[in-house]
Amino acid sequence: MIQQFIKRLIFYTLLCFLSYTCLAQTTFPVNGPHDVRQTCFAFINANIQVDAQTLITNCILIIKDGKIVNVGTGIAIPGEAKVKDLKGRFIYPGFIDLYSNYGIQWNSNNKGKNEQYTNNKPGAYAWNDAIRADVNASNFFQYDEKRSNFYLESGFGSTLSGIQDGICRGTSVLVCTGKAHEQKLILNRNAAAGFSLNKGSSIQEYPGSAMGSIALLRQTYYDADWYSKQNREQNISLEAFNKLKVLPAVFEVTNKLSVLRAAKIGMEFNTTYIIKSAGDEYQRLDEIKTTNSPVIIPLNFPKPFEVEDPFEAQFVSLSDLKHWELAPANPYLLAKAGISFAFTASGCSDAAEFLKNLRTSIKYGLTETQALQALTTIPAQLIHAEKQIGALRAGMMANFFISNKNIFEKEAIIQEHWTLGIQQFVKSDDDKLLSGKYKLTLKGYEDAMLSISGTAPKFEAILFTRDTVKVSIQENLGLITLAFKVNKKAEEMIRIDAWVFEKNPNSLQVQSLMGKAQMEDGSYQSFLASYVEAVPPKNKKDTITKVSYGAVIYPFTDYGNKVLPKQETYLFKNATVWTNETPAVLTQTDVVVSKGKIINIGTGLSIKDAIIIDASGKYITSGIIDEHSHIGIYRGVNECSQAVTAEVNIGDVINSDDINIYRQLSGGVTGCQQLHGSCNPVGGQSSIIKLRWGLPPEAMKIAGADGFIKFALGENVKQSNWGIETSRYPQSRMGVEQVYYDAFIRAREYEQKMKANPKLTRKDLELETLLEILKGKRFITCHSYVQSEINMLMHVADSLGFKVNTFTHILEGYKVADKMKAHKVNASSFADWWAYKYEVVDAIPYNAAILNKMGITTAINSDDAEMGRRLNQEAAKIIKYGNISEEEAWKMVTLNPAKMLHLDAQTGSIKIGKDADLVMWSANPLSIYAKAEMTLVDGICYYSIALDAELRKYIQSERQRIITKMIQAKQNGEKAERKVSSVDENYHCND
Amino acid sequence: MKITIAMINMKLHNIKITLLLWAIMVLNPIFAQQQVTIITGATIHVGNGTVIENGIMVFNNGRIVDIGKTMSSMYKNARVIDAAGKHIYPGIICMNNIMGLNEIDAVRATRDFSENGLMNPNARTLIAYSTDSKILPTATFNGILFTQAVPLGGTVSGTSSLMKTTGWNWEDAVVKADEGIHLNWPGMHVGSVPDENRMKQIEKQLQEIKSFFAEAAQYSKTTKPEITNSRLEAMRGLFNGSKNLYIHTESAKGIVSSINYFKLQFPLMKLVLVGATDAYQLTDLIKQYNIPVVMNNIHRLPSHSFEDVDQPFKTPGMLVRAGIKVAIANSGSWEARNVMFNAGTAAAYGLSKEEALQCITLNPASIMGVEQQIGSLELGKEASFVICDGDILDMKSSKISAAFLFGEIVELYNDQQRLYDKYMKKYGLN
Repeated sequence: MIQQFIKRLIFYTLLCFLSYTCLAQTTFPVNGPHDVRQTCFAFINANIQVDAQTLITNCILIIKDGKIVNVGTGIAIPGEAKVKDLKGRFIYPGFIDLYSNYGIQWNSNNKGKNEQYTNNKPGAYAWNDAIRADVNASNFFQYDEKRSNFYLESGFGSTLSGIQDGICRGTSVLVCTGKAHEQKLILNRNAAAGFSLNKGSSIQEYPGSAMGSIALLRQTYYDADWYSKQNREQNISLEAFNKLKVLPAVFEVTNKLSVLRAAKIGMEFNTTYIIKSAGDEYQRLDEIKTTNSPVIIPLNFPKPFEVEDPFEAQFVSLSDLKHWELAPANPYLLAKAGISFAFTASGCSDAAEFLKNLRTSIKYGLTETQALQALTTIPAQLIHAEKQIGALRAGMMANFFISNKNIFEKEAIIQEHWTLGIQQFVKSDDDKLLSGKYKLTLKGYEDAMLSISGTAPKFEAILFTRDTVKVSIQENLGLITLAFKVNKKAEEMIRIDAWVFEKNPNSLQVQSLMGKAQMEDGSYQSFLASYVEAVPPKNKKDTITKVSYGAVIYPFTDYGNKVLPKQETYLFKNATVWTNETPAVLTQTDVVVSKGKIINIGTGLSIKDAIIIDASGKYITSGIIDEHSHIGIYRGVNECSQAVTAEVNIGDVINSDDINIYRQLSGGVTGCQQLHGSCNPVGGQSSIIKLRWGLPPEAMKIAGADGFIKFALGENVKQSNWGIETSRYPQSRMGVEQVYYDAFIRAREYEQKMKANPKLTRKDLELETLLEILKGKRFITCHSYVQSEINMLMHVADSLGFKVNTFTHILEGYKVADKMKAHKVNASSFADWWAYKYEVVDAIPYNAAILNKMGITTAINSDDAEMGRRLNQEAAKIIKYGNISEEEAWKMVTLNPAKMLHLDAQTGSIKIGKDADLVMWSANPLSIYAKAEMTLVDGICYYSIALDAELRKYIQSERQRIITKMIQAKQNGEKAERKVSSVDENYHCND
Repeated sequence: MKITIAMINMKLHNIKITLLLWAIMVLNPIFAQQQVTIITGATIHVGNGTVIENGIMVFNNGRIVDIGKTMSSMYKNARVIDAAGKHIYPGIICMNNIMGLNEIDAVRATRDFSENGLMNPNARTLIAYSTDSKILPTATFNGILFTQAVPLGGTVSGTSSLMKTTGWNWEDAVVKADEGIHLNWPGMHVGSVPDENRMKQIEKQLQEIKSFFAEAAQYSKTTKPEITNSRLEAMRGLFNGSKNLYIHTESAKGIVSSINYFKLQFPLMKLVLVGATDAYQLTDLIKQYNIPVVMNNIHRLPSHSFEDVDQPFKTPGMLVRAGIKVAIANSGSWEARNVMFNAGTAAAYGLSKEEALQCITLNPASIMGVEQQIGSLELGKEASFVICDGDILDMKSSKISAAFLFGEIVELYNDQQRLYDKYMKKYGLN
């Protein structure tokens, strides 16, 4: 028996050697006599999964020189072939992983340096270091034994390996995961292009936000296009970028909403990206389906969390709890929705985890065929490698693995993995057959029983003599080492080296172990252990006894709904209605809402099939509109890295999952302008949304709304309060003016150039946006404080022939109200903020009142997620300080912001034909005691006290249910981890 | 002399009422000396939960000598202020803020509320309190006559004092000097990764606090220690009951562990919880030891996404219902002028209006041990009160027409009104 072990050992060693010789590169010299071996093998009596759909039993596979020669039943076996009888085992085509950095020895060598504004890499590269179009992963690829084993043991025979660094990540390489020379392992040096929204190791300032990443990628597409037509510039990166365009493109994102973001970019440039996502796609299935983008999904399902401690568990959100429960269903739900997907092992810490989760996804409803497709044919097709890999057919690569059972069965193990026709490893399935109860023959311990349980390499052993003692056991290169004290009082140990002596030829169960024991006194004795019976299997509960999971909610966060609320017909009876029209107040009045619109206002109204709401004693107003909001924004509200970033767009990064959307509905807010921050003189484009809680980002945008953009002045754009010295221009209010002149003059010149030579002029997204302003097609909301700068911008605008639409904050507006009036600019202010920095020392709570009295359309905004839900109170402060009427105060948070956002034709007042963006209040809406009892957007009730009560109950019961399930999973042996849910960032201007 | 409400002309602007009243009372020689003053016709919100409709309040030499539906005796030569239709409230007390210590947050030179190092009980806000602050008058304008000037930062931040929002200098402004010590209790939540390090960090912080308090307790047992330690000297008051210990902690675990530690080690120490966002989960524990809670910023977002969207609004109500003494505060500096609106929101979510008022008047006074002087309008207490056009808790009617501090009228007009008037005049908007 020991010989057998040694043989296996030698075989292993030889194998490595062989693999070099038989697949040596033809161009390489050989040191010593050539040693070319036979490479033809025939695998017989196998269940062969020739492709994802087809399993052939009693099948033969013949390979030679790394390729498949033939596969089928009853085919002729060539004489040269070494025949391997698989005795009914299974052969699968090697899996394909489309997302890895396997073997990539990459180091960008970027060293931390503050404030780097352009690329300082030697060479004629693109201006931005995150655009690494030129890198080719094959230049950095090297066989990596550790990772190779991970892939081989997981079943992956090949992987698309790339440099996972930067927004454009150059070219990925398709490689085999086994061992061979790199020259052989690489199947395709130009297999795919890589992209992401993460600038990676680039230390350049730009882009500093997700929207910046998106803008940079967009601009690069245009730059590359321009580059191909011009002859004035040599640019390695752009040249390479153009070459990438023909390749399949893998785009890495980190959540389901970014799947939509990436797909949208793709659509703009006629590209369907293969999107590597995070495993939460089930949360936005319909939208992802619509993009037609195939996705690459991980199988790293979350571990249960430590939730026994109720106080600590409060830090875990419902979405994280639910994701734990639903993540294993993700593959099934994707398949059910008809979304094409491939699996990646990325994120799994070892092969066991990958295979376990793969099998789990089957339990959740994914079919084995679908799983195999996601591991073989689909990834192969996505990178146009279906003629080489992904199935077992004549002419294809001999990449396959052999398992003892159907790979989806729990006990199945991958016993051999072959890549390029070379056996990469062998794992016998008889190792575990060491377990059993043995009777000992050892001097002095004749009656003792030894019980061995477990599988290689982890065994446990117990010795039953007079005492029951724990035996330490190890298996090493075929030798089994045992050590124990015969009883607790014994001082010395007995140590034994043993080896397998007999095996049952059929079951392979070890029948006896023979060995040498060194006894307590140091003498050696013969040792023999004879198999008696099997150890009863440990009652290890399957952690998933019954597959069940809660509903997907929209959005997938606390207070999300299982079913989205629908448009209804509502009849509000006997309300006090604040119309914002004439007359301003209607008492005992009915309001009818249908198909999203206000269709009637009057007394004694009725309508068929309406939900009738008794609104007596209640107030109905149009919904609050927050002119200046930063809620619902993903990964950065500011693109601080340049003085002018007109190319970035908040609309690209709407986070429809932000809980603050719901919280603001509870404060009667129905719409807002999501503004870029105030970091730079020309910030990014705004997004104007209604708070359609549960809908995806694009559906939140108000269709047909005018485009807006954020400008900013003063301390923030000067970076005065950064606490460190900065060098970005401007550093003074003098420079701010110059930034504007320069930007707009450049935009004008660009327009001329474009007109004169549209083909050879580089499309510039920044200047295009500025041009929209000059043409009156985009409107400015400008963050402003002190009068000098307010005055300045109006002068700049007047001299260049455009208007500033709105000054926001505008705390010293009262000092230049006459000039503002003349410029016809709107004002959107805080009620009473001041003193938090030097430029607001003269801010007074009378500002809004003065502006309003001057006839300037004036709004009160929040710039703050918390204050956003109390804007009615903030408006009331203007009554306190400025003695304005309730009607005027109320307009400051409804009609006036609607006007300045050019939405007043559709919303902002209660008028027949306008959008049913309505709030029912418990009391005078300007009173601190008023609560929004019902908030309608487009005639859909997204918030009401009753709905909220139901959601609270649901959250409570879901949390309790899942937490209980988690603790049970932990008790059943699953490893739990600490979890603190991330909180959506609450942004302000300065962030 | 009778000051009629006609003189306090309703049609006139707020500020002018104040001006007028101020001019009459300060410039008129009759008012130069203290004189019995009778206020009639107002709704008096006593501050202890009761309301006197159409009440009469009489004060003399800075103290309330008569209050109720009717006068208990006749007062000769009294001046009478007819405040019919108006509301009278005790001067508002805002706890836990840095008014007077922080002028412009972004300008370092104007920040005087945090000292270097971790253990600074001896750092006193009292002497850094600037009565020339431009922020204080804006609080006074809203009816806040008292502020607890608190130190921030470190572990033991320093010693707070109760101050008036007006005064010639800090000596003049002080109501109660060095009334409490402020401790920032560690977060206590394990957080994500790295697990063990975080635990160790918390453990270390706790150890530092515990050993500091143990040392201070030991130190306080000797009246004349061999080596004087100014930090430990400052801690004495905690052990002889002359100072409060303000424990700043937000989370449930922080509340439990801090109460647990101090109640076991120093059962007699006067504890006050500050912040205590999660206190609503532990009302029974807090009530058991009768620990007052200073709720900070009712206008905030829930701490966790699963929490009721209105949780921060209703927490004061839940605590009061459980029998806990609650003060409502507004931290920060300029923001503190909105403290009454924090109370207003709490009144919309579970408190009665008078209970909410008590959270910014009598309860803070009682927590800081000055309830015999201020905090409510009762016989013998200071005549420190404000006259409001409407409901002080509700911004749309919260307009203060006059304020009295110890019987003397307080100037409400400040730079903000000056700028308002200046520009209204410029634009001819008056």
